Amino acid sequence: MTATKFVTLGDAVQDEHFPDVDLALRRGRHIDRDDVAWFGFLSDAADVLEPFYKRFGADLVYRSDGFYYLLPTGDRLAKRQLGIAEMLVGQALTLLYLDPATLEQGGRVTREQVLGHLATVMGTDALVRALNPKRRRYDERVAQETVRSRVADALRRLAALGFVDAIGAEELKLRPALLRFAEPVRSSADSTEALERLVASGELSLTPLDSVPEASEEDESAPELDEDSALDPEGDPGTEPELDPELLEDFGFEDVSKPVEQPE
Amino acid sequence: MTVAAEEEPKRLIENLAARKASLELSPIDLCFVAALRLRSRAGGLVSFSEAELGEVFRDVCALVRPDAAGIARRATAAIQRLRDQRLLSRVDGVGVVRSGSYALTRLATGIVDFYLEEEALTGDSLTLLLRTLHTGLSELRDQARGAVTAEEVSARVAGPLRVTIRDLVDGIERRQRGLDLQQERLQQEIGGLLASDWFDALARCQDLLETTTRTLRELNEVLLRDTHGLTALLEDIRDLAEVRGAADVDEACHRLSEQLDRSAAWGAARQRAWSEYYQYVHRYLRDVVRLDPTRALTERLRAQLSGRSGRSFSLVVAWQPPLAVPREVVVPNQRPPLEKPKKEREKPLDDAVTGDRDRELTGQVEAAVDGGARSLSAVTRAVVEQLPLEERYVAAGRVAEVVTKVARARSARERDWAPADEGIWIEEWSVERSASGS
Repeated sequence: MTATKFVTLGDAVQDEHFPDVDLALRRGRHIDRDDVAWFGFLSDAADVLEPFYKRFGADLVYRSDGFYYLLPTGDRLAKRQLGIAEMLVGQALTLLYLDPATLEQGGRVTREQVLGHLATVMGTDALVRALNPKRRRYDERVAQETVRSRVADALRRLAALGFVDAIGAEELKLRPALLRFAEPVRSSADSTEALERLVASGELSLTPLDSVPEASEEDESAPELDEDSALDPEGDPGTEPELDPELLEDFGFEDVSKPVEQPE
Repeated sequence: MTVAAEEEPKRLIENLAARKASLELSPIDLCFVAALRLRSRAGGLVSFSEAELGEVFRDVCALVRPDAAGIARRATAAIQRLRDQRLLSRVDGVGVVRSGSYALTRLATGIVDFYLEEEALTGDSLTLLLRTLHTGLSELRDQARGAVTAEEVSARVAGPLRVTIRDLVDGIERRQRGLDLQQERLQQEIGGLLASDWFDALARCQDLLETTTRTLRELNEVLLRDTHGLTALLEDIRDLAEVRGAADVDEACHRLSEQLDRSAAWGAARQRAWSEYYQYVHRYLRDVVRLDPTRALTERLRAQLSGRSGRSFSLVVAWQPPLAVPREVVVPNQRPPLEKPKKEREKPLDDAVTGDRDRELTGQVEAAVDGGARSLSAVTRAVVEQLPLEERYVAAGRVAEVVTKVARARSARERDWAPADEGIWIEEWSVERSASGS
């Protein structure tokens, strides 16, 4: 594969893979070598697609770990932060990805292993508290059920983003894009500097996860989707709050609150 | 598959269960059997005397359990256990006359060979096996050509196909299973090497990967190349046997052909699976091991996840919602209100012909009088006998009334009673027709 296959943007757009790859990238999908055709197309078309996405205020990022993704840096292209459950599960998956024991299975793990690893590293209590932040008092059985359900939900979302592949009902195949979760600690143990750099580049945002306000007793019956689907902190506080796309997705609606921007 | 063929495994398993076949080998028993196997190979021994068995057991005990006491007693028990499980059989057949000779059974040699011989398929062994197979099949084809009758074909071809050729194909399959085991161990070894030595294990892991990849590629190439020729030979033999009407050769060829297909499919499947594993491990070695030679990343990430270091953060991803496509407006289906079908509260009246009993009776009486009845009893009888029994009594009274109207009736001072019908008695009148003509 060379980067000379597509001379002009028109050539790339005319390619049969463009519509699918474009939609996938805009929906946050990470594309690696396992997506053979898409990865090949992006490798060939990267030179012409990078300026194309720049005009939408987004970077087409290629990482040496072997995957592409689209990173919105402006306001033209919608973006979202991963929720608490997605972040915790993503980091646990990354640990499994780095574990030589996973090699034996060719990078395949079970859902049970993920949950077990998460509980081992974080501790069961911390995990239950992290995924049941609104509850001051909770029934152990209900809280654990909530943890299982939120981990399953997070896995589903991470699979849609190309961090893992769901193989059957129980197995998952780990993909190289998981290394994004390790990015802040990749170069040194002190992640402060790396975090600042990554926040500045728009790769991630700092979230006061451990200072999520606890709800009052009366609020406990309220839906708990809000803390897992953080709103864009860059949104204008003076305007109407942006609808959370995940909420919309869960309810089967489509976001019609924002007009679709036509390409120039 | 025929019903008999389907029932065969079931029957075999039922028999096995009925015989309560089981195996239980302690490490020392297994070592004992292995030592016997090795000694028989080294010395070309076919059987062992009791003294030799005891001697071998003593040697094994000296190695495995040097502090064990009562070796002779233990040896006797071990020999009995092996005999009970049909791993050792007595071969002299002289009973109590003198001490016996014992030999390892096929079951015992099979178990020991699994542990002692790692018969994994290699490019060389596969090529050799396939070449021998090719030669054997070519000879059988010539034999089949030379045979005239079905019996000749069966005798010359079916036997070697079932025994010699099948053993060769079984040999290939056995070595394939050996290679599967070897690969499984290799995957564990790669994981183990990285877990223990991490960066230092890089070169060794790559060597292991490359060697296995080369072996699998060679095997697959040999299988693809030679299977086709072998299948063609089998087809020739089948055709020749069919012409001469040897059905048993046809079946043997069919089974061998299936075995060869299975072997070829094994090669392709293993290469595909290995290729996936190879890519994953290579990527891992390049992206994880090389970039993190001190294996610090795992520890840092672990600390990050457990909240022991760093600040909480969230990854940012693109999230372009799907284009809004308004749904088709579908007019809800208006269901008509439920209502009960209307029903007439009052039943319509039936039209009925009004009966004029009086006129009818008058007519009957007149007819009776006209007919010559001259007494009330006669008139009454004539009228009532046309009526149902239950109406006769009432009608009899009315007849008397009508008679007075349509005829002239006279009665004596003392009126006699006369029967007018069965059970009806009336006072008798004489009746005459009136002047008006009635």
